[in-house]
Amino acid sequence: MTAPEPPARPVLVCGEVRTGLLPSLHALDVRAATQLLRLRSDDHVLVSERPVPRVLSPEILTGVDCPLPAAGGARNRAVGTVAARAALTSGRVLQTTAYVSLPATGPDARRPWGQYLVRPGLAEPFGRLPVRAVAEGVLRGARRGELDLGIIAENLSARLVRHPLLDHRTPFKSRRTRMRWVARRVPEGDKAALERFTLAEDGLRTVELRLPDGVAAAAAAGMCEDLALHDWLLTTLAHMLDDSRLAAADGPAAVLALRPAVDHLLHLWMPRAHVDRSLTAVWDALEEAPGFTRQWQTQVQRIRDQLALQAIPLLHRALSPS
Amino acid sequence: MLIFAASDKGGTGRSVTGANLAYRRALAGDHVCYLDFDFGSPTAAAVFDVLDARAAAEDRGLHAYLAGEAGEPARIDVWARTEHPVLRDLPPGTGRLELFPGDLSGGEFAATGENLHRCVDLLLRLDGEYDLILVDLSAGRSYAVDMVLAATARPEMRAVVSRWLVFHRWTRQHVTAAAHLAFGPRGIVAGGVARGHDEDALRAGVRFVRSGVPDLESPLWSQVTPTQSAWMRRTDEDLRQLASVLGAGHRTVLGTVPLDPVLQWREQLITDEDVVVSQIANRETWEALGELAHRLTDDKCWEQA
Repeated sequence: MTAPEPPARPVLVCGEVRTGLLPSLHALDVRAATQLLRLRSDDHVLVSERPVPRVLSPEILTGVDCPLPAAGGARNRAVGTVAARAALTSGRVLQTTAYVSLPATGPDARRPWGQYLVRPGLAEPFGRLPVRAVAEGVLRGARRGELDLGIIAENLSARLVRHPLLDHRTPFKSRRTRMRWVARRVPEGDKAALERFTLAEDGLRTVELRLPDGVAAAAAAGMCEDLALHDWLLTTLAHMLDDSRLAAADGPAAVLALRPAVDHLLHLWMPRAHVDRSLTAVWDALEEAPGFTRQWQTQVQRIRDQLALQAIPLLHRALSPS
Repeated sequence: MLIFAASDKGGTGRSVTGANLAYRRALAGDHVCYLDFDFGSPTAAAVFDVLDARAAAEDRGLHAYLAGEAGEPARIDVWARTEHPVLRDLPPGTGRLELFPGDLSGGEFAATGENLHRCVDLLLRLDGEYDLILVDLSAGRSYAVDMVLAATARPEMRAVVSRWLVFHRWTRQHVTAAAHLAFGPRGIVAGGVARGHDEDALRAGVRFVRSGVPDLESPLWSQVTPTQSAWMRRTDEDLRQLASVLGAGHRTVLGTVPLDPVLQWREQLITDEDVVVSQIANRETWEALGELAHRLTDDKCWEQA
């Protein structure tokens, strides 16, 4: 028996991240988070305590054999496995990611299934991969019957949310976001870069990256999770400020509406904390424009100023002789 | 909070009243979503005037989602997509209002297994996002009713408050049918108990909404003959007694929506413009809808009847 031909070099990595508040009244401590994210008994949950606690599940695989989404109607079947994982930041923000690497070409016939299983997170096309069309198709979203990374991420999220550890008493209402990303492989030594980051309606974000060979697909997934986490924090805080009607309403009510932000969100801002070092430069572009951290700090300062203003009358009353 | 809108018969104003309640809560600042579980004949898109957006979401409606054919059900931002001119001009502080359309086609499916899981996932997810989730159920003891009864009986749903509105018109047949739908042997409470609900808790969360009720004190009826007036009052009183005997008496009624041709014929949202500017709708209707919308979350109205 001859050894199976190894798959070609991946030219594209695609993924989708769902980010949302964990439906639980209190943040989970690391022990409970580890229990929640133990998706497999044969692999470890990764815990990083600093600078902000983050728990990362082992990866689980979903076997796929279906057409890839592709712009312009190019049909291209792919076979292999999609990797999925979940991360919980500070016991509060739950993220699930599904991602897959795609090589430039693949055999014209399906291999024995075992050969796909030894290459987790890789799906081989039949023949040549129409790289540009597939990248566009993934960002646009899968149609019925096509490889849908969103469904895989969604199923994992639903499975976790059903866990009996969670009480479904959320401390505040918030929306989830979906981030679809594609990373085009560039030769090793080239710089990793963020080529495009867009906000679409309905909580959808799309990201295009350049990813040097040699940087693991999992690192790109981690980078996108970090980006999605901070985008979600910004979006959620902005919605809270809108809802509180700070500009229109007066008095303690408006400020009280912001209390969940202080309790649950303000301490989570830690961009790049869990990003692979080869990819931290990607963040720098975002800090320059639109200036993620600048926007965050402005919002945080606004909340703190309002809280301080509300405290003045109380202080005044406490100090004045009755 | 989940609000299920049910009715035994068609023509009770369930969808149009439900949509108006969603609209009024959003105007008051709540984030509201409206789920069209009336799979046979989805009407919500017409009520909210978002038909074009509805057509764009053709195969990604709630039915396709529950059947596992779509990863994410389509949602339509009513404020952004409506063709209704008044709805595009909103006062500051208005909450979100989003419609999850049903599918134009779609047969029955089992309220078990994966379908049920997806229903629970969706309701849990939306509960984390919206202040109020209004679910329009198809008329009668439909499979949509069975599905949400099974979903809300699941242990992971125990922290989510759910309430039921049973809509009926103010006639003998409608009152009888509505009481049966709520409390009859094949009704909502019995069906819920069979799926693991606590009977008292479920019963305490059921209220009736009387629609198309003529207000006998209104000037509309001031010109009728004394005989007609006496007959109307007697019939009204008979209906009250009947409702009371069947367990649908005034203590179980959340509100009454007056007979208003605008509500009946236009089957759309009643805006303040209809009342104040063009004056085609009655102020009483506007006020009744506002009061009903307020009572949805007023716990005093939901104490043990």
